[in-house]
Amino acid sequence: MISQKSYLVYFLIYKNLQLKYKHSLLGFAWSFLHPLFYLLVFNFVFSKAFSQIEHYSLFVISGLIFWIYFSNSCNQLSQTFIRNSHLIKSLNVKKLVYPVSEQGSELVSFLAGFVLFIFLMLYLGMHVNFNLLYILPIIVLFSVFTFSLGLILGALNVFFRDVGILWNTLNPALFYLSPIAYGLDIIPEKYVFYFKLNPLYHFFYIIRDVLYSGTAPSLHHVLYCLIITAVCFGIAMLIYRKMRNGFISNL
Amino acid sequence: MEKSVIQLNDVSVSYLHNKRGIYSIKDFMLKGAFLSPFEHKQVLHNINLEVYKGQTLGILGKNGEGKSTLLRTIAGIIVPDTGTCKVTIEISPVLALGAGLELELTGLENIKIYMALSGRYQKNTIASLIDTVAAFSELSMEQLKMPVKMYSTGMLARLAFSTVMATQPNLLMIDEVLAVGDKGFQEKCKKRIHEVKNAGATVLFVSHNPEEVMEVCERGICLKEGKIICDSTSQDAVKEYYNLFN
Repeated sequence: MISQKSYLVYFLIYKNLQLKYKHSLLGFAWSFLHPLFYLLVFNFVFSKAFSQIEHYSLFVISGLIFWIYFSNSCNQLSQTFIRNSHLIKSLNVKKLVYPVSEQGSELVSFLAGFVLFIFLMLYLGMHVNFNLLYILPIIVLFSVFTFSLGLILGALNVFFRDVGILWNTLNPALFYLSPIAYGLDIIPEKYVFYFKLNPLYHFFYIIRDVLYSGTAPSLHHVLYCLIITAVCFGIAMLIYRKMRNGFISNL
Repeated sequence: MEKSVIQLNDVSVSYLHNKRGIYSIKDFMLKGAFLSPFEHKQVLHNINLEVYKGQTLGILGKNGEGKSTLLRTIAGIIVPDTGTCKVTIEISPVLALGAGLELELTGLENIKIYMALSGRYQKNTIASLIDTVAAFSELSMEQLKMPVKMYSTGMLARLAFSTVMATQPNLLMIDEVLAVGDKGFQEKCKKRIHEVKNAGATVLFVSHNPEEVMEVCERGICLKEGKIICDSTSQDAVKEYYNLFN
Protein backbone atom coordinates (compact mmCIF):
# COMPACT_ATOMS: atom_id res chain seq x y z
CA MET A 1 0.00 0.00 0.00
CA ILE A 2 2.90 2.34 0.72
CA SER A 3 4.12 2.04 -2.82
CA GLN A 4 0.62 2.70 -4.19
CA LYS A 5 0.44 5.90 -2.16
CA SER A 6 3.80 7.01 -3.45
CA TYR A 7 2.81 6.26 -7.05
CA LEU A 8 -0.26 8.34 -6.46
CA VAL A 9 1.68 11.30 -5.09
CA TYR A 10 4.22 10.88 -7.88
CA PHE A 11 1.56 11.02 -10.56
CA LEU A 12 -0.21 13.94 -8.98
CA ILE A 13 3.07 15.85 -8.79
CA TYR A 14 3.68 14.97 -12.42
CA LYS A 15 0.17 16.11 -13.25
CA ASN A 16 0.57 19.43 -11.42
CA LEU A 17 3.86 20.18 -13.13
CA GLN A 18 2.42 19.21 -16.50
CA LEU A 19 -0.54 21.48 -15.99
CA LYS A 20 1.67 24.31 -14.83
CA TYR A 21 4.16 24.24 -17.65
CA LYS A 22 2.25 22.55 -20.44
CA HIS A 23 1.61 25.66 -22.46
CA SER A 24 4.81 27.53 -21.71
CA LEU A 25 7.83 27.54 -23.96
CA LEU A 26 10.39 27.93 -21.21
CA GLY A 27 8.79 25.47 -18.80
CA PHE A 28 11.00 24.71 -15.83
CA ALA A 29 13.28 27.62 -16.62
CA TRP A 30 10.63 29.87 -15.10
CA SER A 31 11.44 28.64 -11.63
CA PHE A 32 14.81 30.29 -12.19
CA LEU A 33 13.72 33.25 -14.30
CA HIS A 34 10.91 34.42 -12.07
CA PRO A 35 13.12 35.13 -9.01
CA LEU A 36 15.90 36.37 -11.25
CA PHE A 37 13.65 39.00 -12.70
CA TYR A 38 12.64 40.17 -9.23
CA LEU A 39 16.28 40.26 -8.26
CA LEU A 40 17.13 42.56 -11.15
CA VAL A 41 14.31 44.92 -10.26
CA PHE A 42 15.38 44.99 -6.63
CA ASN A 43 18.96 45.56 -7.49
CA PHE A 44 18.00 48.39 -9.73
CA VAL A 45 15.59 50.05 -7.32
CA PHE A 46 17.02 49.40 -3.90
CA SER A 47 20.74 48.76 -4.03
CA LYS A 48 21.50 52.46 -3.71
CA ALA A 49 18.95 52.94 -0.96
CA PHE A 50 20.31 50.07 1.08
CA SER A 51 23.93 50.54 0.20
CA GLN A 52 24.97 49.84 3.79
CA ILE A 53 24.18 46.14 3.17
CA GLU A 54 27.21 44.32 1.93
CA HIS A 55 26.67 41.98 -1.05
CA TYR A 56 23.18 43.37 -1.49
CA SER A 57 22.27 41.01 -4.35
CA LEU A 58 23.19 37.97 -2.31
CA PHE A 59 21.22 39.36 0.62
CA VAL A 60 18.11 39.81 -1.50
CA ILE A 61 18.34 36.58 -3.43
CA SER A 62 18.68 34.39 -0.35
CA GLY A 63 15.37 35.71 0.93
CA LEU A 64 13.68 36.11 -2.39
CA ILE A 65 13.86 32.54 -3.65
CA PHE A 66 12.34 31.29 -0.43
CA TRP A 67 9.66 33.92 -0.53
CA ILE A 68 8.67 32.93 -4.05
CA TYR A 69 8.56 29.28 -3.03
CA PHE A 70 6.38 30.24 -0.07
CA SER A 71 4.04 32.44 -2.04
CA ASN A 72 3.65 30.02 -4.97
CA SER A 73 2.96 27.12 -2.63
CA CYS A 74 0.34 29.01 -0.65
CA ASN A 75 -1.38 30.13 -3.83
CA GLN A 76 -1.46 26.61 -5.22
CA LEU A 77 -2.53 25.00 -1.95
CA SER A 78 -5.30 27.48 -1.36
CA GLN A 79 -6.88 26.23 -4.61
CA THR A 80 -5.95 22.57 -4.33
CA PHE A 81 -9.27 21.11 -3.22
CA ILE A 82 -11.23 23.27 -5.60
CA ARG A 83 -9.02 22.37 -8.54
CA ASN A 84 -9.24 18.68 -7.78
CA SER A 85 -12.97 18.73 -7.11
CA HIS A 86 -13.66 16.37 -10.01
CA LEU A 87 -11.41 13.77 -8.39
CA ILE A 88 -12.73 14.35 -4.88
CA LYS A 89 -16.26 13.83 -6.16
CA SER A 90 -15.61 10.51 -7.81
CA LEU A 91 -12.86 8.80 -5.85
CA ASN A 92 -12.59 7.70 -2.30
CA VAL A 93 -8.97 8.67 -1.77
CA LYS A 94 -7.57 10.44 1.25
CA LYS A 95 -8.02 14.09 0.37
CA LEU A 96 -4.72 14.98 1.95
CA VAL A 97 -2.89 13.59 -1.10
CA TYR A 98 -3.93 16.63 -3.11
CA PRO A 99 -2.24 19.29 -0.96
CA VAL A 100 0.71 17.00 -0.31
CA SER A 101 1.33 16.53 -4.01
CA GLU A 102 0.77 20.21 -4.64
CA GLN A 103 3.47 21.04 -2.11
CA GLY A 104 5.62 18.33 -3.66
CA SER A 105 5.40 19.83 -7.11
CA GLU A 106 6.21 23.29 -5.80
CA LEU A 107 9.18 21.81 -3.97
CA VAL A 108 10.40 20.19 -7.16
CA SER A 109 10.29 23.42 -9.11
CA PHE A 110 11.83 25.32 -6.20
CA LEU A 111 14.74 22.88 -6.00
CA ALA A 112 15.24 23.03 -9.75
CA GLY A 113 15.63 26.78 -9.51
CA PHE A 114 17.62 26.60 -6.29
CA VAL A 115 20.36 24.49 -7.84
CA LEU A 116 20.93 27.19 -10.45
CA PHE A 117 20.80 29.91 -7.83
CA ILE A 118 23.59 28.22 -5.89
CA PHE A 119 25.89 29.02 -8.80
CA LEU A 120 24.65 32.57 -8.94
CA MET A 121 25.10 32.96 -5.19
CA LEU A 122 28.62 31.59 -5.41
CA TYR A 123 29.33 34.22 -8.00
CA LEU A 124 27.81 36.87 -5.75
CA GLY A 125 30.13 35.96 -2.92
CA MET A 126 28.49 33.19 -0.90
CA HIS A 127 30.75 31.56 1.67
CA VAL A 128 31.48 27.96 0.87
CA ASN A 129 31.70 25.80 3.96
CA PHE A 130 29.95 22.91 5.65
CA ASN A 131 27.44 25.24 7.24
CA LEU A 132 25.75 25.36 3.84
CA LEU A 133 24.41 21.87 4.51
CA TYR A 134 22.12 23.35 7.16
CA ILE A 135 20.00 24.64 4.32
CA LEU A 136 18.62 21.14 3.69
CA PRO A 137 16.85 20.70 7.05
CA ILE A 138 15.76 24.33 6.82
CA ILE A 139 14.13 23.63 3.45
CA VAL A 140 12.30 20.68 4.98
CA LEU A 141 11.10 22.72 7.94
CA PHE A 142 10.11 25.64 5.73
CA SER A 143 8.18 23.27 3.45
CA VAL A 144 6.22 21.85 6.38
CA PHE A 145 5.42 25.36 7.59
CA THR A 146 4.31 26.44 4.13
CA PHE A 147 2.29 23.28 3.69
CA SER A 148 0.49 23.88 6.99
CA LEU A 149 -0.42 27.43 6.12
CA GLY A 150 -1.47 26.40 2.63
CA LEU A 151 -3.62 23.57 3.98
CA ILE A 152 -5.44 25.99 6.29
CA LEU A 153 -6.06 28.33 3.36
CA GLY A 154 -7.10 25.47 1.10
CA ALA A 155 -9.58 23.99 3.58
CA LEU A 156 -11.18 27.33 4.42
CA ASN A 157 -11.26 28.35 0.80
CA VAL A 158 -13.65 25.52 -0.01
CA PHE A 159 -16.27 27.07 2.24
CA PHE A 160 -15.49 30.73 1.73
CA ARG A 161 -13.92 31.61 -1.57
CA ASP A 162 -13.11 34.97 0.01
CA VAL A 163 -10.15 33.30 1.71
CA GLY A 164 -8.32 32.80 -1.56
CA ILE A 165 -9.08 36.32 -2.69
CA LEU A 166 -8.09 37.75 0.68
CA TRP A 167 -4.84 35.82 0.55
CA ASN A 168 -4.02 37.23 -2.85
CA THR A 169 -4.71 40.68 -1.48
CA LEU A 170 -2.54 40.27 1.58
CA ASN A 171 0.27 38.50 -0.22
CA PRO A 172 2.09 41.65 -1.48
CA ALA A 173 1.66 43.33 1.89
CA LEU A 174 3.27 40.37 3.61
CA PHE A 175 6.06 40.52 1.05
CA TYR A 176 6.96 44.08 1.94
CA LEU A 177 6.47 43.49 5.65
CA SER A 178 8.93 40.61 5.60
CA PRO A 179 12.52 41.69 5.64
CA ILE A 180 13.45 40.46 2.17
CA ALA A 181 14.74 43.53 0.39
CA TYR A 182 15.95 45.24 3.54
CA GLY A 183 17.43 44.39 6.92
CA LEU A 184 15.63 44.89 10.18
CA ASP A 185 18.11 47.58 11.20
CA ILE A 186 16.31 50.22 9.11
CA ILE A 187 13.08 49.64 11.04
CA PRO A 188 12.43 52.14 13.86
CA GLU A 189 13.02 50.57 17.24
CA LYS A 190 9.40 50.72 18.38
CA TYR A 191 8.16 48.65 15.40
CA VAL A 192 10.77 45.93 15.57
CA PHE A 193 8.68 43.92 18.00
CA TYR A 194 5.82 43.72 15.49
CA PHE A 195 8.12 42.70 12.69
CA LYS A 196 9.32 39.84 14.80
CA LEU A 197 5.76 38.53 15.14
CA ASN A 198 5.93 37.59 11.48
CA PRO A 199 6.95 33.91 11.35
CA LEU A 200 8.65 34.49 8.03
CA TYR A 201 11.10 36.87 9.71
CA HIS A 202 12.55 34.01 11.74
CA PHE A 203 12.76 31.74 8.73
CA PHE A 204 14.52 34.36 6.67
CA TYR A 205 16.84 34.98 9.57
CA ILE A 206 18.11 31.40 9.69
CA ILE A 207 18.18 31.13 5.91
CA ARG A 208 20.43 34.19 5.78
CA ASP A 209 22.61 32.86 8.56
CA VAL A 210 23.43 29.97 6.27
CA LEU A 211 23.37 31.42 2.76
CA TYR A 212 24.45 34.99 3.40
CA SER A 213 26.64 34.97 6.49
CA GLY A 214 27.95 31.46 6.08
CA THR A 215 27.39 30.56 9.72
CA ALA A 216 25.31 27.93 11.46
CA PRO A 217 21.69 29.03 11.98
CA SER A 218 21.20 30.81 15.28
CA LEU A 219 19.71 28.44 17.78
CA HIS A 220 16.98 30.55 19.24
CA HIS A 221 15.57 31.43 15.83
CA VAL A 222 15.64 27.77 14.91
CA LEU A 223 13.64 27.04 18.03
CA TYR A 224 11.14 29.73 17.10
CA CYS A 225 10.75 28.21 13.64
CA LEU A 226 10.29 24.73 15.05
CA ILE A 227 7.60 25.89 17.46
CA ILE A 228 5.80 27.98 14.84
CA THR A 229 5.85 25.07 12.41
CA ALA A 230 4.59 22.59 14.98
CA VAL A 231 1.75 24.88 16.05
CA CYS A 232 0.78 25.68 12.46
CA PHE A 233 0.85 22.03 11.49
CA GLY A 234 -1.34 21.12 14.45
CA ILE A 235 -3.88 23.82 13.65
CA ALA A 236 -3.88 22.84 9.97
CA MET A 237 -4.60 19.20 10.74
CA LEU A 238 -7.35 20.16 13.18
CA ILE A 239 -9.05 22.40 10.64
CA TYR A 240 -8.63 19.84 7.88
CA ARG A 241 -10.09 17.01 10.00
CA LYS A 242 -13.00 19.17 11.02
CA MET A 243 -13.80 20.30 7.51
CA ARG A 244 -12.93 17.47 5.15
CA ASN A 245 -16.34 15.80 5.25
CA GLY A 246 -18.01 19.03 4.27
CA PHE A 247 -15.80 19.59 1.23
CA ILE A 248 -17.96 17.63 -1.12
CA SER A 249 -21.07 19.72 -0.63
CA ASN A 250 -19.22 22.93 -1.37
CA LEU A 251 -17.21 21.88 -4.38
CA MET B 1 -28.20 -17.68 0.76
CA GLU B 2 -26.53 -14.83 -1.08
CA LYS B 3 -24.07 -12.69 0.78
CA SER B 4 -25.00 -9.09 1.34
CA VAL B 5 -22.15 -6.81 0.32
CA ILE B 6 -23.71 -3.38 0.74
CA GLN B 7 -25.76 -2.50 3.77
CA LEU B 8 -27.27 0.91 4.35
CA ASN B 9 -29.11 1.37 7.61
CA ASP B 10 -31.18 4.47 8.07
CA VAL B 11 -28.75 6.59 6.09
CA SER B 12 -29.44 10.30 5.89
CA VAL B 13 -27.25 12.67 3.98
CA SER B 14 -27.46 16.42 3.87
CA TYR B 15 -25.39 19.00 2.13
CA LEU B 16 -24.08 22.04 3.84
CA HIS B 17 -24.85 24.97 1.63
CA ASN B 18 -23.26 28.36 1.76
CA LYS B 19 -26.48 30.23 1.18
CA ARG B 20 -24.85 33.64 1.05
CA GLY B 21 -22.88 32.97 -2.04
CA ILE B 22 -21.35 36.04 -3.52
CA TYR B 23 -24.47 37.39 -5.11
CA SER B 24 -24.41 40.73 -3.42
CA ILE B 25 -22.93 42.46 -0.49
CA LYS B 26 -26.27 44.21 -0.03
CA ASP B 27 -27.98 40.89 0.63
CA PHE B 28 -25.34 40.17 3.17
CA MET B 29 -25.93 43.42 5.01
CA LEU B 30 -29.72 43.25 4.88
CA LYS B 31 -30.32 39.61 5.65
CA GLY B 32 -28.72 39.31 9.05
CA ALA B 33 -25.00 39.13 8.75
CA PHE B 34 -25.04 37.40 12.12
CA LEU B 35 -26.93 34.30 11.14
CA SER B 36 -25.03 31.20 10.24
CA PRO B 37 -24.01 31.40 6.62
CA PHE B 38 -24.72 27.71 6.13
CA GLU B 39 -27.91 25.78 5.77
CA HIS B 40 -28.47 22.06 5.61
CA LYS B 41 -30.15 20.68 2.58
CA GLN B 42 -31.35 17.16 3.14
CA VAL B 43 -30.68 14.97 0.13
CA LEU B 44 -31.22 11.42 1.35
CA HIS B 45 -33.81 10.52 4.00
CA ASN B 46 -33.45 7.35 6.05
CA ILE B 47 -32.34 5.07 3.29
CA ASN B 48 -32.39 1.36 4.02
CA LEU B 49 -30.85 -0.75 1.35
CA GLU B 50 -29.20 -4.12 1.13
CA VAL B 51 -27.47 -5.31 -1.99
CA TYR B 52 -26.26 -8.86 -2.48
CA LYS B 53 -23.17 -10.14 -4.16
CA GLY B 54 -23.63 -10.48 -7.89
CA GLN B 55 -26.79 -8.44 -7.99
CA THR B 56 -27.49 -5.80 -10.61
CA LEU B 57 -29.38 -2.88 -9.16
CA GLY B 58 -30.86 -0.13 -11.28
CA ILE B 59 -31.40 3.24 -9.65
CA LEU B 60 -34.08 5.44 -11.15
CA GLY B 61 -35.45 8.83 -10.29
CA LYS B 62 -35.83 12.33 -11.57
CA ASN B 63 -32.90 14.74 -11.74
CA GLY B 64 -31.73 15.93 -8.39
CA GLU B 65 -33.51 13.30 -6.33
CA GLY B 66 -30.36 11.85 -4.82
CA LYS B 67 -29.19 9.13 -7.19
CA SER B 68 -25.61 10.31 -7.52
CA THR B 69 -25.48 11.13 -3.84
CA LEU B 70 -26.53 7.58 -3.07
CA LEU B 71 -23.71 6.20 -5.21
CA ARG B 72 -21.18 8.53 -3.64
CA THR B 73 -22.31 7.53 -0.18
CA ILE B 74 -21.81 3.87 -1.04
CA ALA B 75 -18.42 4.68 -2.54
CA GLY B 76 -17.42 6.27 0.75
CA ILE B 77 -16.96 9.69 -0.78
CA ILE B 78 -19.76 11.18 1.31
CA VAL B 79 -20.04 10.42 4.99
CA PRO B 80 -23.69 10.09 6.09
CA ASP B 81 -25.01 12.36 8.86
CA THR B 82 -26.80 9.53 10.56
CA GLY B 83 -27.08 5.81 9.95
CA THR B 84 -24.43 3.40 8.82
CA CYS B 85 -23.15 2.40 5.44
CA LYS B 86 -21.29 -0.87 5.34
CA VAL B 87 -19.63 -2.12 2.20
CA THR B 88 -17.78 -5.40 2.46
CA ILE B 89 -16.26 -5.61 -1.00
CA GLU B 90 -13.57 -3.54 -2.56
CA ILE B 91 -14.95 -0.22 -3.67
CA SER B 92 -14.14 1.15 -7.06
CA PRO B 93 -14.66 4.74 -8.11
CA VAL B 94 -18.00 5.99 -9.33
CA LEU B 95 -18.01 5.98 -13.08
CA ALA B 96 -19.57 9.29 -13.99
CA LEU B 97 -19.18 11.38 -17.07
CA GLY B 98 -15.88 13.21 -17.15
CA ALA B 99 -15.22 12.52 -13.50
CA GLY B 100 -11.62 11.95 -12.66
CA LEU B 101 -10.40 13.00 -16.07
CA GLU B 102 -7.89 15.81 -16.29
CA LEU B 103 -8.76 17.68 -19.44
CA GLU B 104 -5.33 19.13 -20.15
CA LEU B 105 -3.58 15.77 -19.98
CA THR B 106 -3.54 13.06 -22.59
CA GLY B 107 -5.63 9.92 -22.53
CA LEU B 108 -2.59 7.82 -21.64
CA GLU B 109 -1.64 10.06 -18.74
CA ASN B 110 -5.20 9.95 -17.52
CA ILE B 111 -5.21 6.16 -17.57
CA LYS B 112 -2.05 6.07 -15.48
CA ILE B 113 -3.33 8.62 -12.99
CA TYR B 114 -6.58 6.74 -12.70
CA MET B 115 -4.75 3.48 -12.00
CA ALA B 116 -2.66 5.21 -9.35
CA LEU B 117 -5.71 6.84 -7.81
CA SER B 118 -7.57 3.58 -7.59
CA GLY B 119 -4.53 1.85 -6.13
CA ARG B 120 -3.93 -0.45 -9.07
CA TYR B 121 -0.80 0.96 -10.59
CA GLN B 122 1.99 -1.52 -11.11
CA LYS B 123 4.97 -0.95 -13.29
CA ASN B 124 4.93 -4.36 -14.88
CA THR B 125 1.22 -4.48 -15.68
CA ILE B 126 0.54 -0.92 -16.76
CA ALA B 127 1.45 -1.56 -20.39
CA SER B 128 -0.97 -4.45 -20.73
CA LEU B 129 -3.68 -2.47 -18.93
CA ILE B 130 -3.26 0.34 -21.41
CA ASP B 131 -3.55 -2.16 -24.26
CA THR B 132 -6.77 -3.46 -22.73
CA VAL B 133 -8.18 0.03 -22.44
CA ALA B 134 -7.15 0.90 -25.98
CA ALA B 135 -8.68 -2.28 -27.37
CA PHE B 136 -11.98 -1.93 -25.57
CA SER B 137 -12.41 1.80 -26.08
CA GLU B 138 -11.47 1.50 -29.78
CA LEU B 139 -9.47 4.69 -29.36
CA SER B 140 -6.33 4.73 -31.47
CA MET B 141 -2.91 5.34 -29.94
CA GLU B 142 -2.90 8.66 -31.73
CA GLN B 143 -6.12 9.64 -30.00
CA LEU B 144 -4.87 8.43 -26.64
CA LYS B 145 -1.89 10.70 -27.01
CA MET B 146 -4.11 13.74 -27.46
CA PRO B 147 -5.16 15.93 -24.55
CA VAL B 148 -8.51 14.76 -23.30
CA LYS B 149 -10.02 18.21 -23.80
CA MET B 150 -10.02 17.53 -27.52
CA TYR B 151 -12.20 14.45 -27.10
CA SER B 152 -15.88 14.38 -27.88
CA THR B 153 -18.27 13.47 -25.06
CA GLY B 154 -18.64 10.01 -26.53
CA MET B 155 -14.88 9.51 -26.59
CA LEU B 156 -14.66 10.65 -22.97
CA ALA B 157 -17.24 8.08 -22.01
CA ARG B 158 -15.34 5.38 -23.93
CA LEU B 159 -12.13 6.25 -22.16
CA ALA B 160 -13.71 6.41 -18.70
CA PHE B 161 -15.70 3.21 -19.10
CA SER B 162 -12.82 1.23 -20.60
CA THR B 163 -10.40 2.39 -17.94
CA VAL B 164 -12.63 1.39 -15.07
CA MET B 165 -13.50 -1.90 -16.75
CA ALA B 166 -9.85 -2.77 -17.31
CA THR B 167 -9.35 -2.94 -13.55
CA GLN B 168 -11.96 -5.70 -13.25
CA PRO B 169 -13.87 -4.15 -10.39
CA ASN B 170 -15.88 -6.15 -7.90
CA LEU B 171 -18.30 -3.34 -7.41
CA LEU B 172 -19.21 -1.37 -10.47
CA MET B 173 -21.03 1.91 -10.09
CA ILE B 174 -22.18 3.53 -13.29
CA ASP B 175 -23.68 6.99 -13.28
CA GLU B 176 -25.22 7.67 -16.69
CA VAL B 177 -22.13 7.09 -18.71
CA LEU B 178 -23.66 4.98 -21.44
CA ALA B 179 -26.10 7.65 -22.52
CA VAL B 180 -23.56 9.52 -24.63
CA GLY B 181 -21.88 6.59 -26.37
CA ASP B 182 -22.96 5.54 -29.83
CA LYS B 183 -25.18 2.51 -30.36
CA GLY B 184 -22.32 0.13 -30.99
CA PHE B 185 -20.45 1.13 -27.90
CA GLN B 186 -23.56 0.97 -25.74
CA GLU B 187 -24.13 -2.63 -26.80
CA LYS B 188 -20.52 -3.45 -26.12
CA CYS B 189 -20.75 -1.93 -22.66
CA LYS B 190 -23.90 -3.80 -21.79
CA LYS B 191 -22.27 -7.02 -22.87
CA ARG B 192 -19.26 -6.23 -20.71
CA ILE B 193 -21.48 -5.42 -17.73
CA HIS B 194 -23.11 -8.84 -18.10
CA GLU B 195 -19.69 -10.45 -18.21
CA VAL B 196 -18.47 -8.83 -15.01
CA LYS B 197 -21.78 -9.63 -13.41
CA ASN B 198 -21.46 -13.28 -14.35
CA ALA B 199 -17.97 -13.21 -12.92
CA GLY B 200 -19.52 -12.27 -9.59
CA ALA B 201 -19.33 -8.50 -9.57
CA THR B 202 -22.06 -6.35 -8.12
CA VAL B 203 -23.40 -3.62 -10.35
CA LEU B 204 -25.14 -0.38 -9.41
CA PHE B 205 -26.55 1.33 -12.44
CA VAL B 206 -27.96 4.84 -12.64
CA SER B 207 -29.73 5.67 -15.86
CA HIS B 208 -32.53 7.72 -17.30
CA ASN B 209 -33.21 5.17 -19.93
CA PRO B 210 -35.79 2.74 -18.49
CA GLU B 211 -35.30 0.17 -21.25
CA GLU B 212 -31.62 0.07 -20.50
CA VAL B 213 -32.29 -0.44 -16.81
CA MET B 214 -34.65 -3.34 -17.53
CA GLU B 215 -32.11 -4.83 -19.90
CA VAL B 216 -29.13 -4.57 -17.58
CA CYS B 217 -30.63 -4.96 -14.12
CA GLU B 218 -32.69 -7.56 -12.36
CA ARG B 219 -33.55 -5.39 -9.40
CA GLY B 220 -34.54 -1.74 -9.40
CA ILE B 221 -35.18 1.03 -6.94
CA CYS B 222 -36.86 4.33 -7.57
CA LEU B 223 -35.94 7.45 -5.64
CA LYS B 224 -38.23 10.36 -4.96
CA GLU B 225 -37.14 13.35 -2.91
CA GLY B 226 -34.38 11.35 -1.33
CA LYS B 227 -36.52 8.39 -0.29
CA ILE B 228 -36.78 4.96 -1.82
CA ILE B 229 -40.38 4.72 -2.99
CA CYS B 230 -40.05 1.40 -4.73
CA ASP B 231 -37.66 -1.49 -4.26
CA SER B 232 -38.55 -4.41 -6.45
CA THR B 233 -37.75 -5.92 -9.81
CA SER B 234 -36.43 -3.52 -12.39
CA GLN B 235 -39.74 -3.78 -14.31
CA ASP B 236 -41.72 -2.57 -11.29
CA ALA B 237 -39.24 0.20 -10.58
CA VAL B 238 -39.52 1.38 -14.16
CA LYS B 239 -43.33 1.48 -13.85
CA GLU B 240 -42.97 3.54 -10.70
CA TYR B 241 -40.52 5.79 -12.52
CA TYR B 242 -43.06 6.43 -15.27
CA ASN B 243 -45.68 7.22 -12.62
CA LEU B 244 -43.47 10.05 -11.37
CA PHE B 245 -44.23 11.94 -14.53
CA ASN B 246 -48.00 11.48 -14.54
